Amino acid sequence: MARPTYGIVQAMLSLRLYSPSSYRLAAPALRRQTRGYATEPENTTGEMQSSTELPSTDPLPTDPPSAAPPAEAPPSEIPRVVKAAPQIDFAKFTAQPARIIPASPSYFSGSPRFIDNVLMLESLQAKYASLPIVGAGEAPRMAWFKLAQFRDFVGEPVPMKKYKSLLKILQRLNRIQPEMVPQEVRSHLGKFLRPGNPYAQQNVPRTVDENGRARAKGKRKESTAVVQLVEGEGEIMVNGKSLVEMFQRVHDRESALWALRSTQRMDKYNAWITVKGGGVTGQAEAITLAIARALLVHEPALKPALRKAGVITVDARRVERKKPGHVKARKMPTWVKR
Amino acid sequence: MIVRKFGLRQSRQLLALSRQTPISRRFLSTEFETPVAAAATEVQTPPKETIVPSENPLNEVMRASSQPQEQWSEGRIWGMSESRRRKFNRTGSVVEEIYNPETVLDNPPRPSDITLELLLASGTHLGHSTSRWNPQNSRYIFGIREGVHIISLDVTAAYLRRAAKVVEEVAARGGIILFAGTRKDQKRSVVRAAQLARGYHIFERWIPGALTNGEQILGHCETMVVNAQDQPLPEFKRDLADRPSVKPDLVVCLNPLENVVMLHECGLNNVPTIGIIDTDADPTRVTYPIPANDDSIRATNLIAGILGRAGEAGQVRRLKAAQQGKTTYKPITAEQLRLDPFTGMLPGAEEKKRV
Repeated sequence: MARPTYGIVQAMLSLRLYSPSSYRLAAPALRRQTRGYATEPENTTGEMQSSTELPSTDPLPTDPPSAAPPAEAPPSEIPRVVKAAPQIDFAKFTAQPARIIPASPSYFSGSPRFIDNVLMLESLQAKYASLPIVGAGEAPRMAWFKLAQFRDFVGEPVPMKKYKSLLKILQRLNRIQPEMVPQEVRSHLGKFLRPGNPYAQQNVPRTVDENGRARAKGKRKESTAVVQLVEGEGEIMVNGKSLVEMFQRVHDRESALWALRSTQRMDKYNAWITVKGGGVTGQAEAITLAIARALLVHEPALKPALRKAGVITVDARRVERKKPGHVKARKMPTWVKR
Repeated sequence: MIVRKFGLRQSRQLLALSRQTPISRRFLSTEFETPVAAAATEVQTPPKETIVPSENPLNEVMRASSQPQEQWSEGRIWGMSESRRRKFNRTGSVVEEIYNPETVLDNPPRPSDITLELLLASGTHLGHSTSRWNPQNSRYIFGIREGVHIISLDVTAAYLRRAAKVVEEVAARGGIILFAGTRKDQKRSVVRAAQLARGYHIFERWIPGALTNGEQILGHCETMVVNAQDQPLPEFKRDLADRPSVKPDLVVCLNPLENVVMLHECGLNNVPTIGIIDTDADPTRVTYPIPANDDSIRATNLIAGILGRAGEAGQVRRLKAAQQGKTTYKPITAEQLRLDPFTGMLPGAEEKKRV
């Protein structure tokens, strides 16, 4: 209420003949001089009186933000007809800016979006902790964000360790019994999935084509073999040559056809083989793998027998590269004293 | 015969209960199967005694217990077990006046609920070993017991009430209150207090420079312009582009010893702080110390809860006033938002001047 006004107004205020409220001005004669300060109008400046006293160090001093218009008119010109105040523009008050505040309660952590996500998932986990869960292996396979994708998603440099802790919560939520997953959990989990489900596409089992051919590839060392296997009388053609022309060693011929021989199918299939790269052994063993795979297309029931024969096991060994400072891949130069 | 009756009676009672583990069929069976090694003995096993199913009373019990479970879905089984749990958890004696550690998080006490008994029960009076004391805390210390300083509970209550009042008034004036508790188990209480007081929380490491180098560290974090009723005003979003980062108006620190850097930055930026000061801490590091035990999670949870409730009361007051069209603080105006926060001029005005 202590606002700078004209001196005469202050004088009248001190004599309690005038108050800035127009309500008082309207009927000055009715004012009782004996009233105390407790009956004086309050809160005309819009300042809220705190009900309690603050401690001595007040961090935020109050400022009257929107003051009522001070009585500009001299008290001698008291208007006869007081016009009513205009309607309150409520919309204007709510449209006025008041403060600039952080958008997230975890603003000061430096990574608010990540922490908000973690807190949200943790609250979900606590909320649905009592739901039955399935084993980790039985849960539906989900393609969660990779770390780089997650960083793009939240727009913050999240360290790997923290993202792993978030993944743990996601995996726990994903283990809820699939038919009982609440919609809330489902929608939130969906936000952390990579676009396009890479686990949705199932491996289509290969079949023989319309001409009765089964096509399969095999690799060993540097060699790659492609086999077209058809039912027949046991004729083999490798790169346009017969098997004997192609492989001089009996051992190579044996190993190339080991899939057919071990299952006694030598005279039941014809094979047309293309093989390239590598040496003789590599080519022979690449053919082994390719024939075994092609045979599986014709007769899937042979899988245990072929597995036992060791022909559908991929030998993934490759020549180790030579390193600088070494003579070969690992061999060091001979040590000379000086 | 006796064995049979025993098995029958037992089985009924067993089936009536809900059990996690399956009941062995061995106990329910009325048919005797003596283990016979077929190859070893020439003697043929006698043909089994056939009992008409309708005559055997166990048959129905067994069927009832085994049949439907094959059809029920997991959800139904879980729902039944939940309803059973809810039903039977209410039976029996009721234990009252027990300590539930969740209560102080779910429904923390208000500043008016502060009693010395509550503080004592929460262990706020336990200080550190006398050898580790900070003599500046001597006025808060009640005495020594078994080589440990005991903090005076009435002093704790008085300082806690004062701190609660500070939090309430700052909240009522639209201040930004930051609750910080970076110890492992303080996360939930800090988040809860911030939620109650509509404040902000930190439960991981304070990033050094978040206040002194705010543009670099918090520059990418989102801010918004709100009206007096805390509704966001998206039309002012473009005015926020080159603003400095937001600084808190009050920081509540539950473990000042580990957050020396944060308190130092608050001091540099003139941000008032509230801190739980144990007997080994320096009370001059914070503006409003609360002498109490900062090593007990129960004690820090209680203090954080009380301060959160105080903030909640302040926010209620502020929003109530906003409903009536009043603000308890000086609101930023649309013109001020347009001005450059560093030069205090309209954007582009400086360049015009130079030209």
